[in-house]
Amino acid sequence: MSLFVLSIGFGLITASILAIASVGFTLQFGVTNILNLAYGDVMTGAAFIAYLVTRAGGSLWAALLAGAITGSLASYVLNRFLYTPFVRHGTRLFGMIIVTISVSLVLQNGLQAIFGASFFSLVLPRTASYGFAGMIFTGQQLLIMGIAVVAMAVVHSLLSYTRLGRAMRATAADPELARGCGVATDRVVGVAWLMSGALCGIAGVTLVMNVTSFSSTTGGSFLIPVVAAAVLGGVGHPYGAMIGALVIGLASEVSAAFVNPAYKEVVAFGVLVVVLLVRPQGIFAEIATQKEVVA
Amino acid sequence: MSTAMQFYVSNLLVYLGVDVMACLGLNLQFGVAGIVNFAFIIFQAAGAYTAAVLTLGSSSAGGGFQSYIGGARLPFPVPFLAAAVVGGLLSLLVGLVALRKLRTDYQAMVMLVISLIATTVATNATGLVNGSNGLATIPKPLQSVLGLSLVGYQWVYVAITFAFCALVWVGVHRITSSPLGRTLRAVRDNEAAAGALGKNVTVLRLVAFVTGGAIAGLSGAILVQFISAWSPGSWLFPESFVYFAALIVGGSGNNVGAAVGALLVPVAFLESTRYIPQFGYPGLVDALQWVVVGLLTLTVMWFRPKGVFPERPGRFARRAQVP
Amino acid sequence: MSSPLEGARAAILEVEGLRRSFGGVQAVRGVSFAVAEGTITGLIGPNGAGKSTVLAMIAGSTSPSAGSITFRGQDISGKPPHRIARLGVIRTFQSSSEFERLTVLENMLVAAGSQRGERMGNALLGRWRWRSEEEEMVERARVLLERFEIPAKEDELAGNLSGGQKRLLELARSLMSEPQLLLLDEPMAGVNPSLVRRLEEHLLGLRAEGLTMLMVEHELGVVERLCDPVVVMAQGQVLSTGTMSELRSDQQVLDAYLVG
Repeated sequence: MSLFVLSIGFGLITASILAIASVGFTLQFGVTNILNLAYGDVMTGAAFIAYLVTRAGGSLWAALLAGAITGSLASYVLNRFLYTPFVRHGTRLFGMIIVTISVSLVLQNGLQAIFGASFFSLVLPRTASYGFAGMIFTGQQLLIMGIAVVAMAVVHSLLSYTRLGRAMRATAADPELARGCGVATDRVVGVAWLMSGALCGIAGVTLVMNVTSFSSTTGGSFLIPVVAAAVLGGVGHPYGAMIGALVIGLASEVSAAFVNPAYKEVVAFGVLVVVLLVRPQGIFAEIATQKEVVA
Repeated sequence: MSTAMQFYVSNLLVYLGVDVMACLGLNLQFGVAGIVNFAFIIFQAAGAYTAAVLTLGSSSAGGGFQSYIGGARLPFPVPFLAAAVVGGLLSLLVGLVALRKLRTDYQAMVMLVISLIATTVATNATGLVNGSNGLATIPKPLQSVLGLSLVGYQWVYVAITFAFCALVWVGVHRITSSPLGRTLRAVRDNEAAAGALGKNVTVLRLVAFVTGGAIAGLSGAILVQFISAWSPGSWLFPESFVYFAALIVGGSGNNVGAAVGALLVPVAFLESTRYIPQFGYPGLVDALQWVVVGLLTLTVMWFRPKGVFPERPGRFARRAQVP
Repeated sequence: MSSPLEGARAAILEVEGLRRSFGGVQAVRGVSFAVAEGTITGLIGPNGAGKSTVLAMIAGSTSPSAGSITFRGQDISGKPPHRIARLGVIRTFQSSSEFERLTVLENMLVAAGSQRGERMGNALLGRWRWRSEEEEMVERARVLLERFEIPAKEDELAGNLSGGQKRLLELARSLMSEPQLLLLDEPMAGVNPSLVRRLEEHLLGLRAEGLTMLMVEHELGVVERLCDPVVVMAQGQVLSTGTMSELRSDQQVLDAYLVG
């Protein structure tokens, strides 16, 4: 019982990181229809910048900010100067997969070439542990959950209450129609990648806050759970991605506690394969769609 | 040629033969039938494990330092053929589950994840094929029978590899230039239209998938009996991408393109540099190689999206006028 | 199932009580009609009437929720598309459906029925196993290409053809399968007026040779010139059946379709 509650706690932390990452991922996919497999490596890039900041004596907040800016700019540049030109050049679904994997290889191995094939840790102050109803969290883990909650709230209000959010939803639903209605889709897409990139960067930093050490492959191996959460929620639907993250995060940590920790990723793998094969529009797609119509 | 040089060249030739075979198999699946098999490497791996287990003898015989299932000591070329069969059977299994009508990028995702699942299972189920340590001391075929010098045997292995490679080439070429190949390309271009003309799309794609998987299995067996060791680290997902990159560079849908791609990407960019002097810290050269492969793929995708040797459609001679 | 319109001709296709719903929406609710041998039967109706869904169910790409489809006395409802095609029911598509990276001639050859060279064993054994059959097919394909006036294009990639040429190719290709019943899904969509005339002549020529066709078409002029009888559908049901001139005076049809 206590093991179960404890694993729920771990699940909540993983779900928080996953939620930040998969909402960012799903926003990119929603507005541009590109399955960006270099997403995890941009996370790693942000983590390395955060590492440099903490090593230079910067605070955790400075590291988070630096990570967010890195992710934001890197994603924007990737889309503006690589992905969009390829799409305009006539590259289609399969071709874009090859393009994003190539970028992933270049980023991951470029980072390894620069930083070396060793392990790194953020330089963070030690914090106390807090117990809640059988769950134990460090101060940093509480912070991660707080960041996730704030990030989700910001995304929600941005999408629901601002003109930009409406333009983004319109572009995601039908770019041609949105353009016809006077939405500057190019700018909307640009902003979407800046925003999702910021989430990607924050996710990268929180991911390495929660582990003892990371390397150039850390973000890349976190990609599949991120995609699984996004796909489970119906790609392109931010609220679906939040629910997906919660499901995948809890399921993988609980199964890690009770089955074999080595297989904890298999939960995410299995979910992703089954959803793609059986219901590629995602489990929560209908809920999410209804929400958008109402909003 | 100095002995060292002979080793270097013969090693590269064996890799070339193995990679050409693999690229031909993937070309049949992807270039011809349009199946985005991002799990290609697991079928090569399955063939490699099969050949290893069927030549190592029983698990306890080797001092029991590695554990695996189904050990036997079968003579050449039985392990090779068994590897092809296992590659084909595993393809059948995966194909029955995963070959659905899907957006191609989703299909790629599904296959990628299947590849990761296979790696996780092979790494953690240690009783299966010795887990993350993998298998070692895998015997080389006919080595004890022939009694040649080490370098002499290298050349024998080159000959064996090329013989199998030629066999695969003839088979794949016959398929792609036959009505079967034409129908597979039709299924690739428009599944619904092919079905509406009476073609059993599911079976046709499965046929291409299983044939390609059998070729992958064979290539794995030839590779493993040459390098004598095999572990989950030998067949991570990026290795599948290398074969896709080779097809894209060489020209998918064209067997010559597939072979040239094998020469350019896995052999020229990844294997040949294995013997250049290392610089920097360990792993730097490896990392830079992957960066180069990624950049090369992007460049070709931009400037020559159909590859160096684009697919050649079939031509039919006008019948000579009958008097 | 004999209506006075069919006269002495036997029905080649009978559709009985066909239904189909998509997630709670009833697209087709109880459709029955018959196609008599040797006719071009028209299937018309306003957008959303369920015509294309009916065609898709006959061709097997959508399976009916209820009802039966009988082709030459054999129930084909719910069979997969390739089985239905092998019985001689060949469909064309609304959007262009060429195999774009195959040449025009290769497109034709794919359509020929079960081929020796399509079997793995024969393919591996080599050309001699299938050469003679292939040569016959090439001859047959060339005759058809000649007839549809696209012979000079036989080595062109089908993806490079103009929209009209793709239509002609699709028609020629479907004949390569030696159909007994041709299902045409808006064959004139997006085709320029002069080519429409040519396509009409080709279809009339095929009917004169005894080929039966079921055609979904929006352009009522085309329907009037080609189709007899015409089945009118609206909101998932059959409204009326008759010749085009009879239908023009049918108040129910006018209300549902011709005026709106």
